[in-house]
Amino acid sequence: MRAPDLALVAVLALLAAAFPFLVNAYWLHVMIIAMMFAIMAASWSLLAGHAGQFSFGHMGFVSVGGYTAGLLAHFLGLPLPLGMLAGVLAAALVGCIIGWTCLRMSGPYLAIFTMAFSEVLRITIVTEVEVTGGAGGMSVPQLFHARTDLPYYYLILALLVVSVGGMMLVVASRWGLFFRAIRENEQAAAAAGVKVTRFRILAFAIASSLAGLAGTFYAPYIGILTPDIGSQDQMGLVVAMAIVGGMESLPGAVAGAISVEFLIQALRSYGQWRLVLFGALLLFTMRFARNGLLAPAWLRLRSLAAPRAAALAKEAVR
Amino acid sequence: MMNGTPPLIEAIGLAKHFGGIFAVDHLDFEVHAGELVGLIGPNGSGKTTTINLLTGHLRIDGGGVRVRGQPVAGLPASGFAGLGVGRTFQITQLFSRMSVLENMLVPGLARPHAHKTHVTREARRHLEFLGLAALESLAAKNLSGGQQKLLELGRALMLNPALLFLDEPFAGVNPYLRDEIIRFVQTLHEEGRTFVIVDHDLDAIQRLVHRLVVMSRGKKIADGPLASVRENQDVIKAYSGT
Amino acid sequence: MLDYILIQAANGLVIGVMFALIATGLTIIFSILKIVNFAHGEIYMMGGYFGYYVITLLGVPPFPAVLVAMAITFLFSIGLERGLLTPLYSPRIERKADYGILITFGLSVFLRNIAIILFGPFPLRPPSFIEGSLAVFGGLMISYDRLVAAGGGLLLLVALIWFLNRTVWGQALNAVSQSRESASIVGINSERMYMLAFGVGGALAGGAGALIAPIYSLSPSMGLVPDTQAFVIVILGGLGSVSGTIIAALLLGISQNLFIALLPDPSRGPSYANAFGLFIMMLVLLFRPTGIFGRHAVAMD
Ligand SMILES: Nc1ncnc2c1ncn2[C@@H]1O[C@H](COP(=O)(O)OP(=O)(O)OP(=O)(O)O)[C@@H](O)[C@H]1O
Ligand SMILES: [Mg+2]
Repeated sequence: MRAPDLALVAVLALLAAAFPFLVNAYWLHVMIIAMMFAIMAASWSLLAGHAGQFSFGHMGFVSVGGYTAGLLAHFLGLPLPLGMLAGVLAAALVGCIIGWTCLRMSGPYLAIFTMAFSEVLRITIVTEVEVTGGAGGMSVPQLFHARTDLPYYYLILALLVVSVGGMMLVVASRWGLFFRAIRENEQAAAAAGVKVTRFRILAFAIASSLAGLAGTFYAPYIGILTPDIGSQDQMGLVVAMAIVGGMESLPGAVAGAISVEFLIQALRSYGQWRLVLFGALLLFTMRFARNGLLAPAWLRLRSLAAPRAAALAKEAVR
Repeated sequence: MMNGTPPLIEAIGLAKHFGGIFAVDHLDFEVHAGELVGLIGPNGSGKTTTINLLTGHLRIDGGGVRVRGQPVAGLPASGFAGLGVGRTFQITQLFSRMSVLENMLVPGLARPHAHKTHVTREARRHLEFLGLAALESLAAKNLSGGQQKLLELGRALMLNPALLFLDEPFAGVNPYLRDEIIRFVQTLHEEGRTFVIVDHDLDAIQRLVHRLVVMSRGKKIADGPLASVRENQDVIKAYSGT
Repeated sequence: MLDYILIQAANGLVIGVMFALIATGLTIIFSILKIVNFAHGEIYMMGGYFGYYVITLLGVPPFPAVLVAMAITFLFSIGLERGLLTPLYSPRIERKADYGILITFGLSVFLRNIAIILFGPFPLRPPSFIEGSLAVFGGLMISYDRLVAAGGGLLLLVALIWFLNRTVWGQALNAVSQSRESASIVGINSERMYMLAFGVGGALAGGAGALIAPIYSLSPSMGLVPDTQAFVIVILGGLGSVSGTIIAALLLGISQNLFIALLPDPSRGPSYANAFGLFIMMLVLLFRPTGIFGRHAVAMD
């Protein structure tokens, strides 16, 4: 890691640890939601940006995770941490199945197929009112019995660091290389000995289980789980976050999620307009800055800072 | 059977049809270790399709393939690569947004128990051999057409293949690079690798190969030492289009 | 019971015609621009609202209002195409397919949200074309609005087929869909064809929106379902085959409504009807993973 990166990580770590004591309860809540979206956006960018599989069914896996945890707690009285684990596993399993079924699809076909998957799931949840509570939602027990959101904050922070850190390790490993090779040219990857089937499904499984993880956190944190979380509007929000950040950069997706969520909340007096704004931001980024706004900006900044830092270091030695 | 070692690769009654037409029409064909075979034939005679069938890139409609005597029915392309059967494509297929070195690392790291530092060293050695060493951090899409062909060859070499199928290595290549590729193939052959080379550049093929196989309309119409195939009337007929 | 099934079949026919309008638009856009337009359903929604405001604000009578709405949607679509899709034609842009997916997906999100602001989140219903219902045999009643929608839709489809087969523009579109290169060699300005295709595709969807508005009323999210249903149809019907698309649309509309009629628990029918179409589509994609988009030419039969 280069010096500017290390400096950034250090500053961010400090900031993250101190954040709850710097802001009021409302902004703490916003930050918690933002970090949860960051897990969704980063895992989507792993699947779409790195592995090249444009899934519009990502929020379906968030629902799978959330509803698995919620239903197990509701009907079987399973303790929530166990239910959350089950939710992640269920999302991974469904991810493997969907990844396997769309093995022979690519581009828009995969996008349509996965979109259909999440819509069928959402419609089922809305319709099976007796089981899921339908559009009105189902209540989910709290995870912590605290007066503040502090425990949730540190939990989601830990989940975010672990899941994004884990994905960054994957991306830097040979798995990440294979993901990109398959994205670039599936036929050539197979000729190069990459087990295409295995790695396509693996990418789906990793991304889906992390989306499921975000869902299992969302349910108890909000206390009520509605099928809206799996809607195409939420999908659009997550895609916008990942793209604004820079679709092929995981930290970019995290930064994109946090800045878009804060922007949306900061502009909440503008009501519906802020949602138009993020749609426009998405269109603008795609149209004029296809590599995203945040990740390239950071690279630019870093390349500006690096020579200066080196010069400063030289000064110091003298 | 004669000397006890089975052929490196063997097609038995191999068939593939698209719609009603047989692109490969019950082909028998085998390659022994150490050979340098030319596979020629007019456009559309089924050469590329044969390579695709013998490397797992197309599903077989009839007959079978054996690698070192073992039937490999249903093996995916990555499995053939794992058995040391490498290939290049008629239209160069690279990982275009990845660097030259990364292109080389993919097959290297896909091998079981591959070690990153070892594989990287090996990749650099091959890039050196192919004259691409200075370009290793360039994105593959930014290479010239000829350099892309060399990189594709290098990527196939990273499988440490016993057998290499080259699909039209001389197409669209200037005379200088053509001579270089001939030299590369000769060197690699001397190192013990087996080659099947498909091309329309009969001059280059003649300089390289010892054995020539000729296809026409999906069928093998000649197979033997270079000199005897050159005299074959069927071959002349197939090429003159009558 | 039989009556009920017949009613549902008739409803299915009406829906089928609407699906056919939307799906042929999608097909035309795909075969010319080589992109799947994820915002197509939102264009349909916009068309519905254009019709509504043409009637309520400008006082245009309902029938001509459909045509005015189509004209507005045509221009609106061309505006979108000029603003967002031109990078698709530039040789410098890489990964065009990805760009097409994301930009139209982003557009769909954007249009849905801006519609909530401009038109409000609550359903709006324009006045009927003709009040009342027609009594067919038995106790069967079909509202005139449904008949108008079906009839108007069929007229538009006939007009489309005429346009594609009998006009210079239609034949130029056909040429571009078969080969951009050869079309440009014979002097067809393909950039203009892209505009035309996106405009015509949009106008068809917009016409469907305006025709269906008095039956189902308008809402910003009304495009979501038809959009995905249109994919089903295009994939089932065979790309580019306008008649295949129409047949698939009718079949889907009818089978979906019969599915509602035959579901044991009628209260769930309407919501599962949408899931039904999507499920069929997932099955089709499973067995034809490149869809029928795989062929690129538009057959103007
Ligand atoms: N995917 C495919 N679908 C339909 N037909 C195909 C397909 N691939 C090959 N063919 C047909 O099979 C026949 C053999 O094609 P192939 O590419 O093997 O020829 P070739 O000998 O490599 O020719 P060339 O020297 O021109 O490369 C041709 O008639 C071709 O049109
Ligand atoms: Mg060939």
